[in-house]
Amino acid sequence: MSVMVGRKAPEFTADAFDRGEVRKVSLSEYRGRWVMLFFYPADFSTV
Amino acid sequence: MGAEVLAISVDSADTHRSWQEKELSQMVKDGALFPMFSDPGGRIGALYGVYDSENGLDQRGRFLIDPLGVIQSIEVVAEPVGRDIAEALRQLRALQHHQTTGDYMPCGWEPGKPTLSKEQSRSGEIWKEWKTRHAF
Repeated sequence: MSVMVGRKAPEFTADAFDRGEVRKVSLSEYRGRWVMLFFYPADFSTV
Repeated sequence: MGAEVLAISVDSADTHRSWQEKELSQMVKDGALFPMFSDPGGRIGALYGVYDSENGLDQRGRFLIDPLGVIQSIEVVAEPVGRDIAEALRQLRALQHHQTTGDYMPCGWEPGKPTLSKEQSRSGEIWKEWKTRHAF
C-alpha cells in the first residue's frame, strides 16, 4: 500500500503517552474527526 | 477546526513522559495535551514512508487525515528545519472549507480571501478572481 493524498491512512495501534498515562491507542479511534498526525526525529529536539 | 493532534517518534513512552515532565511542561502549561506514540524500530514510520532506517529515526513528516480516514495533505521536512504550524492549520481550514462548500481554494488562500467554484478552477479565467496579492 502506498501512502499518498487521496488514499486511506495506514491503520496502526501502539503505546502512547497521553496526558500522564501510557495506553494503547489506535488511529481508528479518531475516525469521524480530522487528524493531524506528525512524526518527529526525537524527544528533546524541535518538532 | 476540531482536529485531533497525534505525535509519533521512535522514543519509548517512558522517554515521552520524561520529555513532557522536563521540557514540554516548561514550554506550555501542563505540557502536550495529545497522545505521543512510541514507534520503536520505526514500524509506523515505515508504513507512512518516513522511517529513516540508516539513522533509526522517523523523519519530520506531517499528515492531515480527514474524518473518513483519507490522507488529504502530506509534508516531510529535513531534520534541521522545524515545521510551520500555521501552514498546516491553513491547509486544514482550506480542506474543511472545501468539504463543507465544495469551493476550491487558490494559491495563498486564507479565510476571507476569494474562493473558486470547481468549474472556475479549470476555466482559464482564474485571473478574473485571483490577483497575485492574494498569494501573500
